[in-house]
Amino acid sequence: MAESSKTVPSGLQVKKLQCKNLHDYLKTLPPGVLDKLYNHPAACLAVYRELPEIARHYVIRILFVEQPVPQAVVASWVTQTYSKEHLGVVQILSELRVWQEAAIPGGLPGWILNPVFKKNTKIALLGGGKPWSRWGPKRPEADAKAKDIPYLDAYAAERWECVLHYMVMGSHGGPSSGGGLPQGGISADAVRILLHAGLMKRDDEEGVICITREGFQFLLMDTPSQVWHFMLQYLGAAEARGQDLVECLTFLLQLSFSTLGKDYSTEGMSEGLLVFLQHLREFGLVYQRKNTELAQRLALNIASSGGNLVKSHTFGTKDEAQLGYIVVETNYRVYAYTNSNLQVALVGLFCEMMYRFPNLAVGVLTRESVRQALRSGISANQIIGFLEQHAHPQLHRNAPPLLPPTVVDQIRLWELERDRFRFEEGVLYSQFLSVADFETLRDHARDLGVLVWQSTPKRTVVVTKAGHEEVRRFWKRHSKGGAVGGSGVGSGSNSGMIGVVNL
Amino acid sequence: MADDEDGKEYRWETGYEKTWEAIKEDDGGLLEASVAEEVAAQRAKQRRLLAQRQHELWGGVRLGMMRHLYVIVDFSDAMADQDLKPTRYLCTMKLLEHFIEEFFDQNPISQMGIIITRNKRAEKICELSGNPRKHIKAREISGHVVQQLAKQAWNGGGEPSLQNALELAHSFLKLLPPHASREVLVLMGSLTTCDPGDINTTIESLRKVGIRSSVIGLAAEVHVCKRLARVTGGDFSVALDDTHFRELLLQQVLPPPAATTTSSGVAPPTTVDASLVKMGFPQHHVSGHLDAKDDSEDTIAARNSSGGYFCPQCCSKYCELPVECRACGLALVSAPHLARSYHHLFPVAPFTELPFSKDLGAVSCHACLYHFKNTDKMCYRCETCHQIFCLECDLFIHDVMHVCPGCSSNQRTYGIAGSGSGEIGTSTPSSFGPLGASLASVNYFGGWCSFIYLI
Amino acid sequence: MGDEIESSLLVIVIDTNPSQRIVREGSQILTQCLDSVIAFANSHLMMKCSNKLAIIACHNHASKFLYPPSSDDEIGEDGDVRNAQQIDGQYEVFTHVERTVRRNIQRLIAFGDQELPDIHENRITGAVNSLGGDSLLAGALAMALCYIHRIEKDIPPSTKVNSRILVVTASGDSASQYMNYMNVFFTAQKRNIVIDVCSLDQEPGLLQQGCDITGGLYLRIPQIQGLLQYLLWVFLSDPPIRKKLVLPPPVKVDYRAACFCHRELIDIGYVCSVCLSIFCKFSPICTTCHTVFKTPAPLPLKVKKKRIKLS
Repeated sequence: MAESSKTVPSGLQVKKLQCKNLHDYLKTLPPGVLDKLYNHPAACLAVYRELPEIARHYVIRILFVEQPVPQAVVASWVTQTYSKEHLGVVQILSELRVWQEAAIPGGLPGWILNPVFKKNTKIALLGGGKPWSRWGPKRPEADAKAKDIPYLDAYAAERWECVLHYMVMGSHGGPSSGGGLPQGGISADAVRILLHAGLMKRDDEEGVICITREGFQFLLMDTPSQVWHFMLQYLGAAEARGQDLVECLTFLLQLSFSTLGKDYSTEGMSEGLLVFLQHLREFGLVYQRKNTELAQRLALNIASSGGNLVKSHTFGTKDEAQLGYIVVETNYRVYAYTNSNLQVALVGLFCEMMYRFPNLAVGVLTRESVRQALRSGISANQIIGFLEQHAHPQLHRNAPPLLPPTVVDQIRLWELERDRFRFEEGVLYSQFLSVADFETLRDHARDLGVLVWQSTPKRTVVVTKAGHEEVRRFWKRHSKGGAVGGSGVGSGSNSGMIGVVNL
Repeated sequence: MADDEDGKEYRWETGYEKTWEAIKEDDGGLLEASVAEEVAAQRAKQRRLLAQRQHELWGGVRLGMMRHLYVIVDFSDAMADQDLKPTRYLCTMKLLEHFIEEFFDQNPISQMGIIITRNKRAEKICELSGNPRKHIKAREISGHVVQQLAKQAWNGGGEPSLQNALELAHSFLKLLPPHASREVLVLMGSLTTCDPGDINTTIESLRKVGIRSSVIGLAAEVHVCKRLARVTGGDFSVALDDTHFRELLLQQVLPPPAATTTSSGVAPPTTVDASLVKMGFPQHHVSGHLDAKDDSEDTIAARNSSGGYFCPQCCSKYCELPVECRACGLALVSAPHLARSYHHLFPVAPFTELPFSKDLGAVSCHACLYHFKNTDKMCYRCETCHQIFCLECDLFIHDVMHVCPGCSSNQRTYGIAGSGSGEIGTSTPSSFGPLGASLASVNYFGGWCSFIYLI
Repeated sequence: MGDEIESSLLVIVIDTNPSQRIVREGSQILTQCLDSVIAFANSHLMMKCSNKLAIIACHNHASKFLYPPSSDDEIGEDGDVRNAQQIDGQYEVFTHVERTVRRNIQRLIAFGDQELPDIHENRITGAVNSLGGDSLLAGALAMALCYIHRIEKDIPPSTKVNSRILVVTASGDSASQYMNYMNVFFTAQKRNIVIDVCSLDQEPGLLQQGCDITGGLYLRIPQIQGLLQYLLWVFLSDPPIRKKLVLPPPVKVDYRAACFCHRELIDIGYVCSVCLSIFCKFSPICTTCHTVFKTPAPLPLKVKKKRIKLS
């Protein structure tokens, strides 16, 4: 079936959401920024932990060595069978500017650790230097005011759900629709970030903000990745907002190394950081309480901090917090044991919802519902990934496979159904006056290799856009050079899209 | 469902076993309490078994360490029965594989052979040998053969012949030197046996030679089997289900008391004699050059491929130990193989079970730092070093490790292995109590140990 | 979310026995070693955030956990990471480790005999710190195994733990602990726990056997000043990574036995079937278990047929 889409003709493939990890992000930063970043032990520690395992061993081995180490010696640390891995690791370390080339007296090329990185890593490991924040933890005063971990977890989950809910509902959602949203919509700043990240877009005719394809893909990712991607987008826009990128990034990394549930004071934080803190509070990454004294207390809630760094940090707590709730049956029914509006809405993105009970929502995976999801830009793999992530523990007991293979295959087949067209741009030549002209043109185009399609009974030819100029010149020459007919070539050269059916 | 009408039904009629019904939810809808209860009940049972065994051992009973065991497996029609899922035969094969591994792990210097009986005959599948890998392969082959037979109708199974099998085992075992502990383990699934003669004479001949026969029945208690076990000093038990079957098999892994005293009062005329067994301790030699490849490979694999052990008497080369030299008949072992069996001789003293209370002076387990919670009612104390341990550590120490961490870190008690093991070989059981071991045994142990290992 | 988290549990057993030769010779050697070990432990934690650590000190009268702090200590004070104050740029987890270890080792060394349990009246009292004696490493290893057993049982379902033990010692061999050592090594082998040994001074043969049985690394350090660097280079890697890195080759261990009567290594020996003690030549009584052996009966004389003289 032909599907026409409203999007840009250049490359009609669905844009996949690009989620960078820490290294990819850091590689995009200019070198000066990176060096400034390495001034803080937390950043060095974060970068260290993200390195591949062999790289970590290399770094720790030369951490305490003052002179540069010959490259040949470093290459000899790995066994022969893994030398390819060695080369990959060398490249990563160079890109991140963790080490740099240095010459050894004697002329051999060697590696030496970036001095700033080395110094701060040593500080993080052994001590010395300044404390990470001028805000050390306060002594626990009245325990009644302290919040315990389950409360913090619930708070974080609720805040993040608010953001996601806003994405699903769009701005015509709002506090009145959908019960269960305790604190209404989200702030204008957050909306700005969502717009900037391309996850939502403003529909100019109606003035409402609604979700984009990338936004759909975003919704189906797991929470740590979601938060991390969101924070990266935020940092990307930080400069524009007048915040110092290095400061914010350092603070974020420092946050990821803090302990869950511990209080840190906010004394001495700069303006920019305080604004950043407010934003973090809104997304549920920190919990902030004012009390009657001047100094404010911060209780850090790491449970919802995303990012690859803290993924493993938080894995323990997350397991209990987010058990799966979806059961998929071989008759294509989907049972979601939840009463959260957001989760039901997410399932409703690709299922046709049938019934809703207090603790259960029942839906069916139909061709229509899946195709509708596919139309909005969600891929079959994302749907399957989402179902697997949130699979009920009951399904885990029959693992493998987690989901019924029939359902998984069918979703993929439905996606392939839409993939039957290959789109190419081209120029159409039609209404030839004689068969001979048609054949000449066609053969010439074929020789040039730019022929896309031709139909002898209809006497039409399609050539690629790139080849169009060449063919036109040829035709002009040909028609000037002695075509009998006076009017020359017919009028038809239409450019446009042509769809070729994949069989 | 239809089969629920009649409350009592036979086991082979049940379709599925609804084991999930055993777990009930408590008032709050939580399962944890009942699961925890079951786990605790199982652990308590394990402790009881352990305690029982320890008690037996401390009567000063001598153990047969060098065991020669023949396993007789019933391959008759009755093994196609489905009361052990999926069939008795398949269940037995699976459990046997595990049994063989455990057996050689606990008794590295022992040997095992396998005999099967079907069609009123007995066949030896695998001879006595000490290398476990050979056994498992042989069993696979025989399993393959039997599986092919099973594809046709099960008349291939036929009737078992207990007497033939016992005679076969007897003919091999009687040739062994008297210091060896000779045993037979019969896995019997059938209720009948088809014998050429009087089985009582066979039983009598087994008793005369001192072959200890144990029987594990899969169907029901058969008088003949019970008599066989009782007369020869073995164990007789009937498996209730596959878990129980597995437990019974694993009980056979531990060395049995040597037949000096029998509980039945029928003492065999010849006892298992102690004698000095000649054994060789070959050194590992690596052949001339090592490939460059070997440096990066796992060391053990590299060693095995390029070197070997040479028998000190006849210089034939073997790649693995323990093995019996084919040329000269010398048993080749290495010191750790003998060391694996020592824990049977010097077990750790059982800990006393105490209700947990704060005034015992410890808030957490000495060995693993497990913090005792309100739900833990019992804790365990070693009477030698007076440290408190939790249930998990207690089971781990007695089942697997055989070393008490408290005793072995204390200068006064580390040399006394489970003080109170008494002196081995004396006929009167010695009394045991904390630090009450006689000086003689302390010296004995210390002196013995100082020489046994290598430099 | 579908992949397993692999974490690594490292248990370090430090031999702090004051009767070791190098400790006797220089009092700051022990402090140096302790500093290096703490830095090494923190490097292990720095590798991955899911890595776990435990440190046991093996003193001459007892073995105790230096880290994690046992519940006997005050949790309310500095015993919890939550309450640790950061005074410098060190990551707070590392600071917590360092402080706990230093505090506990001080307690261990200072309060000698007060650590022994005080329950039974028959217990012999006396000043324990003056006791000489071998380092009871087998006991410390047994404690490490119990701890590993508990941690492995308690992990959440989709994680996997690789455990290993590192022994840092300067003692030599201790024959009287043979049984305990062997039991510990076989248990570790069965549980796939690797035992590495870093020897500072002497060549402990039994520990070498342990490394061989469990597949660990043995290294003798030629100079104490480089202890941290040797530890980082050789012992920091997890067993799965070790095949990728080039590490010192395993030491060759001699598994022959020594006979009981002369203490010589023998190739062929006689083993008592009851108590498994080894002798180099046949004797009618086993000297350890006093069993009487049947002497092999002399072969019956064949009656020689006398030649009948034909006469």
